Amino acid sequence: MRAIVQAAAYVPAWTDRGRRVRGPDEDPFSMAASALERVARERRAAEPRWTVRVAGTAPSPAGSGFAELLGGPVDVSEGRPGLAGFEEAVAIALRGTGTEFVVALDLDPDPAGPPSRHVVIPSEGAVAFRIDEFPDGGRPPVDLGHLPSGPYVIPGLFARHRALAPGGRYGWVGDWDTDLRAGRPSGPLATRPPGVPPPRVSEGAYVPRPRYLEGLASRWRFVCDRCSACGNVTFPSRGRCRTCAREDSLEARALPLDGGRVLATTWIGRGGQPTEFDAQVEASGPYGVVIVELEPGVRATLPVADAGPGEIRIDDTVGTRLRRLYPIDGEWRYGRKAVPLASNGPSATAA
Amino acid sequence: MVHRAAVVGGGHTRFGVLDEGPRALVRSAVDRALGSVDRGIDRRSIGLGYLATLGFGGWQIGNASALLGEEAGMPGLPSVRIENACASGGFALQAAVSSIQAGASEVVLVVGLEKMTDVSNARRRFWLGVSGDTEWERQAGLTFAGVYGLIADRYLKIHAVPREALATVAVKNHANGALNPNAHFQKRVTLDEALAAPRVADPLGLYDCCPVSDGAVALLLTSVELAPRFTDAPVYVDGIGASSDFLAVQERFDLTRFDATRRAAEAAFRSADTERGKISFVEAHDCFTIAELLALEDLGFAGRGEAGALTLSGATGRDGRLPVNPDGGLKAKGHPIGATGVSQAYEVFLQLRGSAGARQVPGARTALTHNVGGAGATSAVTIFSAG
Repeated sequence: MRAIVQAAAYVPAWTDRGRRVRGPDEDPFSMAASALERVARERRAAEPRWTVRVAGTAPSPAGSGFAELLGGPVDVSEGRPGLAGFEEAVAIALRGTGTEFVVALDLDPDPAGPPSRHVVIPSEGAVAFRIDEFPDGGRPPVDLGHLPSGPYVIPGLFARHRALAPGGRYGWVGDWDTDLRAGRPSGPLATRPPGVPPPRVSEGAYVPRPRYLEGLASRWRFVCDRCSACGNVTFPSRGRCRTCAREDSLEARALPLDGGRVLATTWIGRGGQPTEFDAQVEASGPYGVVIVELEPGVRATLPVADAGPGEIRIDDTVGTRLRRLYPIDGEWRYGRKAVPLASNGPSATAA
Repeated sequence: MVHRAAVVGGGHTRFGVLDEGPRALVRSAVDRALGSVDRGIDRRSIGLGYLATLGFGGWQIGNASALLGEEAGMPGLPSVRIENACASGGFALQAAVSSIQAGASEVVLVVGLEKMTDVSNARRRFWLGVSGDTEWERQAGLTFAGVYGLIADRYLKIHAVPREALATVAVKNHANGALNPNAHFQKRVTLDEALAAPRVADPLGLYDCCPVSDGAVALLLTSVELAPRFTDAPVYVDGIGASSDFLAVQERFDLTRFDATRRAAEAAFRSADTERGKISFVEAHDCFTIAELLALEDLGFAGRGEAGALTLSGATGRDGRLPVNPDGGLKAKGHPIGATGVSQAYEVFLQLRGSAGARQVPGARTALTHNVGGAGATSAVTIFSAG
């Protein structure tokens, strides 16, 4: 049986007059990445290539960006935008072979759609499905009636997908990972206008593009090297153990993206930022930076997103999301930022 | 044979927001150093020059040492530029000591220089973070205030130290700076003022941070054997120690300890064959107030987490048990990046000759300088005694 085995929606934490809006460091690529990585946590096994089908135009830096995010080569295909394009892409993926992902952005609700089933579709954000082989007679498909209702629930999609499946050749399994973070954020963040700074050539500390790309496995996926000789972990990866200097005993491993513990925090006031962060400060004011312990003894220095001063403290547990860092040489650089780890919305579970 | 090195002359410009450009600052510091030599010196006797500078603002990124000979009136002087960020001066001094020890030259000139206030605000904020880890810390939006802010946050929390300990460092160093005619800030501050100042990188406020300053300092070194040719009161370099650490703080094994300073201090004390109890005063690298607390612990003058209490007790004041930064430190005297390490040794030169004026530490016989690059990525510790 071929099935939608996992799904995730990413919805920005920011609101403007009650409507969800993207934060100043978010864009279609970062939102698609946040949804996509939630359904791609299982490491690839035998399949050398994965397929990512995008409803609409793949957000830049799509191909290379998705490949880096998923840790290996991907084929990216583009289709019609909107809900119709999403459904079409899902239908194609369900007829395909191997692991496929479907990503959609800007899925404006279609009020005229059939009201039979409910699914969480954000008008701002991204939705990603993983479609794969699923053993017949395994877990029964999830009863879609258990999906959460709320401001993002719109009618439609799954009823029509089921219509693609006469005889139940494929179905729905796994959790609906909403990442809605109900209730967040509070305070001034919630009403601050989400101005998106324009890309401009920055006078910043210069990380040449090849060095930026070289560091992405560690920066985006938290890949570290564990040394089988001395047991120590080197992060970010550098191809040599930071403790015993061996190069032939390293085993690459991805550290958890969420659940790190905050060891130290600071808040950079207006005027204290490096030049390349000027546009961000203009858009959203002072920002936080934290050192997070990803696992004992392994740390990352990360900017804070979606939280104001004092909202993240030492010993808090945080998640991480891919976000824009700053523009340089006319392009955006992306990296992980620490975000408050709030409860996800209700999950759909097997009936 | 291995010679011992001695300092026989020193010149120091004012630190602060100055009209002079970098060339004029170098010329002024060198001329003052030459003029300070008790029995006089022929500038042609200088056989080697080291220039410590970051090249802030990009004014002369490459080949800057050539201007030493140009501006010092010694065309043809063999010269090298030493760059280890804020520790450039300390490392240039140690290079000069090693050159004397090796007999490479009879007299060596060391100049520390930075011109920081003649660039635009945007360019200054670009340059202030160039010596940290570029790929992680800088891309996270940190300059050094932010890196030290993170360290301070953790330090205050795990050792339950109040912010008053940080503010007390500022109050003490401003009080010392008020007695130093070369200091950038010659004005006392109160504890309340220091605590109430706006936050730059929480928990660090404005008074926890050193200023952006211009300035240059020059020292003349020779061997102990040749020193009497120039003065009856040389200052001997008894020991040097240096070390480095991971560039990014996140990779270190401890967030509130600078292992580079610990190793440099061990090496310096070993080579000087002396002990902590014999040090009359310390010139510590207090680019941020938290850095002076870390320095006291890493240099071995306080146990871990105890530097705050030591500072609050007044022990590090000018009349305390262990005076720290009698010249005002980076905090009040100013921090022209490449000049700082040389300036620390200049203060030692004055103090150990009993010529520090109103800020003289009574009976000072030995001293230690501690010069840190970045947030502990490089560290140079040097021990001196009165000749």
